[in-house]
Amino acid sequence: MMLLRLITWPYVRKHMLRCLLTTAGIVLGVAVFVGMHTANQSVLYAFNQTVDKIAGSTQLQVTAGETGFPEEVLERVQSQPDVEVAVPVIEASVQTGLQGQGNLLVLGVDMTGDRSLRDYDLNSTEDATIDDPLVFLAQPDSIILSEQFCQRTGLQMNGKLTMQTMAGPKQFTIRGVMKSGGLASAFGGNLAVMDIYAAQMVFGRGRQFDRVDIALHRGADVNAARARLQTLLGPGLQVDPPSSRGQQFEAMAQIYSMSANITSLFALFIGLFLIYNTFSIAVTQRRSEIGILRALGATQGQIKRLFLIESGIAGLFGSLLGLGLGVLIARGIAGYISSYLGEMYGVAQRAEEVSADPRLLGIALFLGVATSLIAGWIPARSAAGVDPVKALQKGRAQVMSEGENRARKIAALVMLGLGIACVFAGHKPLFFYSGYMLSVLAVLLLTPALCIWLSRLLRPLMKWMRPVEGALAADSLLQAPRRTSGTVAALALSVALVIGLGGIAKSSFEMIREWMDTALNPDLFVTSSESITQRSFRFPYEFGDELRQVEGIEELQAVRTARIVYQGTPVMLVSTNVESIANRVNMKVIEGDRETMYRQVSRGEGVVISDNFALLRRVNTGDMLELLSPTGLLRTKVLGVVADFSDQQGTIMMDRELYRRYWKDDTVNVFRAYLKPGASQSDVRQRLLDRFGAKTRLFVLTNGEIRAFILKITEQWFGLTYVQIFVAVLVAILGIVNTLTVSIADRKRELGVLQAVGALRNQVRHTIWMEALAIGALGLMIGFALGAVHLYYILEITKRDIAGMRLEYRYPIGIALTLLPVMLGAALLSGAGPAESAVRGSLVEALEYE
Amino acid sequence: MILITHLQKLFDGKSRVRALDDVNLHIRKGEMVSLVGPSGSGKSTLLNLIGTLDKPTGGEITLDGQRLSGLTDDQLTQVRRDKIGFIFQFFNLLPSLSCEENVSLPLHLRGWGRKQARDRAIELLDLVGLGKRVEHLPDELSGGERQRVAIARALSVYPPVLLADEPTGNLDTTTGADILGLVRDVHERLGATVLLVTHDRSVAESCPRTITLRDGHVVDDTVRAASR
Amino acid sequence: MSRLLLGLMAALPLLAQDARSIVDEAQKRSRADSQRYEGTLEVRDAKRKISTKRWVYERLGSAGEAKAVLKFTAPAEVKGVALLIHNHPDRASDQWMWTPAVARERRIAFQDRRTRFFGTDFTFEDLEERDVDRSTYKLTGEEKLDGALAWKIESTPKAEARSQYTRIALWVRKDTYSFVQAECFAKDKLVRRIRYTDLEKVQNIWTARTLEVHDIERDSRTVMKLEKLQYNIPLAAENFTLQALRREQ
Repeated sequence: MMLLRLITWPYVRKHMLRCLLTTAGIVLGVAVFVGMHTANQSVLYAFNQTVDKIAGSTQLQVTAGETGFPEEVLERVQSQPDVEVAVPVIEASVQTGLQGQGNLLVLGVDMTGDRSLRDYDLNSTEDATIDDPLVFLAQPDSIILSEQFCQRTGLQMNGKLTMQTMAGPKQFTIRGVMKSGGLASAFGGNLAVMDIYAAQMVFGRGRQFDRVDIALHRGADVNAARARLQTLLGPGLQVDPPSSRGQQFEAMAQIYSMSANITSLFALFIGLFLIYNTFSIAVTQRRSEIGILRALGATQGQIKRLFLIESGIAGLFGSLLGLGLGVLIARGIAGYISSYLGEMYGVAQRAEEVSADPRLLGIALFLGVATSLIAGWIPARSAAGVDPVKALQKGRAQVMSEGENRARKIAALVMLGLGIACVFAGHKPLFFYSGYMLSVLAVLLLTPALCIWLSRLLRPLMKWMRPVEGALAADSLLQAPRRTSGTVAALALSVALVIGLGGIAKSSFEMIREWMDTALNPDLFVTSSESITQRSFRFPYEFGDELRQVEGIEELQAVRTARIVYQGTPVMLVSTNVESIANRVNMKVIEGDRETMYRQVSRGEGVVISDNFALLRRVNTGDMLELLSPTGLLRTKVLGVVADFSDQQGTIMMDRELYRRYWKDDTVNVFRAYLKPGASQSDVRQRLLDRFGAKTRLFVLTNGEIRAFILKITEQWFGLTYVQIFVAVLVAILGIVNTLTVSIADRKRELGVLQAVGALRNQVRHTIWMEALAIGALGLMIGFALGAVHLYYILEITKRDIAGMRLEYRYPIGIALTLLPVMLGAALLSGAGPAESAVRGSLVEALEYE
Repeated sequence: MILITHLQKLFDGKSRVRALDDVNLHIRKGEMVSLVGPSGSGKSTLLNLIGTLDKPTGGEITLDGQRLSGLTDDQLTQVRRDKIGFIFQFFNLLPSLSCEENVSLPLHLRGWGRKQARDRAIELLDLVGLGKRVEHLPDELSGGERQRVAIARALSVYPPVLLADEPTGNLDTTTGADILGLVRDVHERLGATVLLVTHDRSVAESCPRTITLRDGHVVDDTVRAASR
Repeated sequence: MSRLLLGLMAALPLLAQDARSIVDEAQKRSRADSQRYEGTLEVRDAKRKISTKRWVYERLGSAGEAKAVLKFTAPAEVKGVALLIHNHPDRASDQWMWTPAVARERRIAFQDRRTRFFGTDFTFEDLEERDVDRSTYKLTGEEKLDGALAWKIESTPKAEARSQYTRIALWVRKDTYSFVQAECFAKDKLVRRIRYTDLEKVQNIWTARTLEVHDIERDSRTVMKLEKLQYNIPLAAENFTLQALRREQ
């Protein structure tokens, strides 16, 4: 400990900025890790909190995915002897049109009896907060709002609030106010309660419920009751504790975690090289100090420990900074994820509180410190190996660890071989992920050798550019590959990360564009909500007949989409008139015969699944799918697989008739309209709005608007990716600054000699600039290559473990070209500071010893 | 105290250099010996070998009855820690540490407590006449003062053997004489065995015994009857 | 606790009664094959806010077999809302509510009967007709109430009745065998007091024309007045069905 105070602290104090830069990689790696996961967890936590608040004392819930189920289920549930209270619920997310208030979650409940289950806090002691329960029930425009919401909006008892309904915007009367706390605090108070039958009418739900909430008799065994209810209701209805709703949400959030993990890993890797680099240089710089310590009786172990502890402290410090930063950025990310999920899944969820899980922080801290210790290992070993005699002799540099280069090269080649072997070894995750790791490690280990080799290639070019300075700079690189290779490796990793992230974004965008061209080709979409991902409102099927009457419409496809639970994961069920779809839509068929499969599906003989469903659930053509419907188990055959990007968890397409038979649901979310040749989109749209706009809630979106929306959602999805790219570039730049600063400080004397023998200041300056540029170029070259490998692997990971998207390998040349000036510019800029300090410093001082 | 038999040290470079060849010496406990010879004669090498900083290619050094050959690096460090004090021509003080911290550094390496180490360091600084400079940084001191600090540091554990490599080489004549006086003083007061490498004829002659090296061989070993 | 809301009373005095037979006699004397009246309801809560409602009540059959329809007529917001009650001798009654605006009936589930009846101080349970044998009785004394002597009887609902109350104190007038007061306890705490006043003999049945329910905890009172009271009038059985409620839309 004393050694740390006496030896390390003065050094750190002297090189504060450099030490901070060194830990930058760790800081950012830990920050990304903590930030992303905390955000994820917070959104999840908020979601669970809301579920809890809405659930009240509900012990079990009966649901059928998103499809809802017939009312009769309620009586079956109520007939179960374990059940004390069973109440039906409908949920809908509705726009209020009030500025800045966002959506309102409307809960339709049975006001005659539900109150024992949920704490509405209506029966407060002073006053019944529902003015008149009979009036409330008798009038379908009655709603209860939370006190919070009323205060924010200035609304009062018996005031009016306009909400969107199936029959267009409609005024509702506030006939009750919930006191704050309990249910009313869910969704930050953006919650309204109305009568369930009124809600069925207002949201076009027919005679269906979304949920039945159950409280059991006191002392009843929840698990046993759950099993009995499940048997009673059959497999199509899920009987779960309310908390399990969070699990479905978790599946959605998981994708973000995966991508966050990869980025954090890379950032930590980059951090590893930065630390390695700084410590290697520090060991060189502190050789004489080490020599003195050894002469004074320090053992090799003490020296090694000193450096390891230093790197550990650097790691700890960086990790702590990273933790703080991570928690800070988590709030922003949480907001981002919330709004994305709101758009994509219609779950309006605000994370009010962002709090980090201590276990997560522990893991992050461990990762940061461990990375740093690994990075410090080799420098610490060479510090211990410093020969005190040579270290104490003036002007003699010790060439350290010769031969290590060869060992490294051999290790790299072995890893490369193994990595390639893994690609061919099969598709087991073990092989796959080890292959990934090995390839990356191999490239990193080869970096010093590659640096020398590429520097030799660059030398003539540099010499041609600036005969004197170019040659000097190139020689400096060649003589000290150890010094540069760390930076180059860090830079290459950043570049590879950017290439990977950019590549996957590019590929996704292109594939989605192609899919939109083939699948989303109707001229107009008639929907019941402003966004196609909202399914709170639905049309009756018969509405299609009225729509068909409108002049200019040639063909109309009624589509009902709903999430159902398949083996615990929510997937998208699309029911439609398949025959018509087959004629109009030309999605890429991956398995199965186009002609026969659609014909069979339209006869209800099976389903077509999306490619990502097939990959994620490991299902192929010919397999039997077991789908749970409210009326029982539907065993149906997979007749084909198509490329479809409707849903991240996968899509099942079936014929409308089959869906109606099993789900007893005749509603429609979207009508896809194809126009007659010559009919103009805007004319038909206007006609539709004129004819139905006043009496029915409907939105007409053009093909272009739908495309724009999907691109926007995709853009949002990759939004966080861009943040990660930014982080990667930032770390890379910090890396260059760090290395150059250190390397210039290390060579002060050498540069001084250069000036003493007559080099002009400009020549010295240019030498350093050239060196910086060369480092940037080396990093870019190796990074582009590593990026190619990395992209291959993350596309594979995306395919097999994340989204099941079969993305084509498309090297993001545009991004690579953009990186060129960015990285070279950054290199040049970061060389400027050190170059100035090199030429500004006193010559005498530079030439002096110690 | 120090018994050297057939000591040999070769350096492998572009051509092989025999730094020391078949050196045999016996230095008794409490002796003060000067080591002279031209540059490259092997003086410093011999000092480094005795100080366990380096390992011989052949022969044997016995230090205080302990044979050094066959010892591991850690064991050699242990010997150095307990028995050797080094004084260098360029002082080799750590510029960022105060006098007291420089002197107590070896004690910390041995795991001494902070208070204990500080007390000893102050005691030693008093001994070398720098009692008032405890908190100063080396940069604030003159050359002679720096060397005093270095001597205090070398004495920190009262080692039986003190090795000085041109302790006056970087100092003017007057200061050099002062430092030499101090070394002699320490030698007499503490009874340490002192081995002193020097270029300076007068410094060498002020020691009771002078060994002359040339091309890695002992060419002369003079013992004077009386010192001074 | 039977017929609180629609309580009717008999008149002939009997000798040496035990508690159960007093209650049985009281019920017998109020028995009629059918009943119709127009009611007015006034709720005064603790803040003295008053709301008034009117309805028409029709009942066919008596006690455990009775079927009844209660249809609101005023104010305008609640006009057409109806309540259909099917009593059963051996189990809790079935109750449905009809809301014309959404054209839906809603079943009032068994477990909801302890909730208040639409903002009044009654609970749904208080609306049930209940067989005399679903409670046990004990005569605890005699008291003078509103100038008339009454038996004080303690009634304890049997477990199978699944009542929200743990016991009910009943006052039955000795001269007319009509209920004059009931105090309902939940876990030994008085939660509701019901007073039957304006006793009048209608078609030979002693009937309280005014009922006052006092919710002790909330300090809220509901006063109900019965007008145009008729017994034993011809009513069609098919009117007491859900189909009939729907048909009327």
